[in-house]
Amino acid sequence: MESTDWELVQQCQAGTMSAFQELVSRYQQKVFMVILGLLRNREDALEVAQETFFRAYRKIGSFQGGSSFYTWLYRIAVNMAIDAQRRQKRNPLDFRESMDGVLEAQNEVARDPFADIQDKELRENLVKAINELTPEHKAVIVLRTIEGLAYKEISEILGCSEGTVMSRLHYARKKLQEKLRAFL
Amino acid sequence: MINCERVQESISRLLDGELSPPQSASLQEHLSSCPQCSESRRQLEKIQSTLKEVLNAQASELEFTPFWRGIQDKINRQRVWYQDYLDWGRSVFSVQRVAWGVPVVIILVLGLLSIDFLLPDWRFGNSRNSFVSVDSIDTHGHNVALLREDETKTTVIWLYQDREGDNETADETVTTGPAF
Repeated sequence: MESTDWELVQQCQAGTMSAFQELVSRYQQKVFMVILGLLRNREDALEVAQETFFRAYRKIGSFQGGSSFYTWLYRIAVNMAIDAQRRQKRNPLDFRESMDGVLEAQNEVARDPFADIQDKELRENLVKAINELTPEHKAVIVLRTIEGLAYKEISEILGCSEGTVMSRLHYARKKLQEKLRAFL
Repeated sequence: MINCERVQESISRLLDGELSPPQSASLQEHLSSCPQCSESRRQLEKIQSTLKEVLNAQASELEFTPFWRGIQDKINRQRVWYQDYLDWGRSVFSVQRVAWGVPVVIILVLGLLSIDFLLPDWRFGNSRNSFVSVDSIDTHGHNVALLREDETKTTVIWLYQDREGDNETADETVTTGPAF
């Protein structure tokens, strides 16, 4: 029977490295997606995702289970990604170039997971429009989209009220809609 | 009559499943009769699904082994020589165990401190049965030596002069009883 997150956390707290490895295995993709949604560059996102788990490893002794593990982990990820984004001095096109590179590589090996996506322009402009949002608005959109988190969970992760989450989501969607109307 | 501008906010909540069933039913009814709001909903759903697909595609490229190796490298770089001892200590002295240990230690310390009061005749071996002290009392070589013996409650005081060739004991006084 598969261990719950809390059981694995307790094993980590007792010093079992394999339990932490299992937690990384469970959440690496989602954490990476959240961070990639907030940052522009894939390599930066990878580095911040690894740094997120490293920080989680160092702090796991203080995790008391007051919230779910993934809420706690996403809080670390979002804070680190927002910090990284503020420090980021790179070209705003990096993420788009990185994304295009991935898409082309996937086409070359004939295993494009985007086969069902009709409009490449929409994807490119969506990435650009997302990057133009503030980190706070980007965070709510990404957390809601990737994990389908409830407003309450997002508010716990971002340390704000549910009302703020709702208004940020509405604002962010409105902005995206305005910028992408021609491609929708 | 539902205001279309207000409906835009509600569509966002509808997509997120944050509307109550009556609110949801009311909104659905409006959407079925308002092409503009219905189109807005379609656009928002399209944005959401496209973003998810884009991010999913990126994340599916992520391989676990090198990712985990990167984390392990960071952990190993951070580990210092005493980290193994710290890990062991953390597992042994967990919060729950310390929570029980603190009152136990306090009770033991209080017990040891009050043992004289509870068991006045009890002593730790012979170490507290006698007391010896030797002090110089002036610059001419006069000294005082004190011996207290608890068992017989005897106190002996020697006064002596420290001169080469002379008898060491100049005076001797013996008192008995609880002089101290």
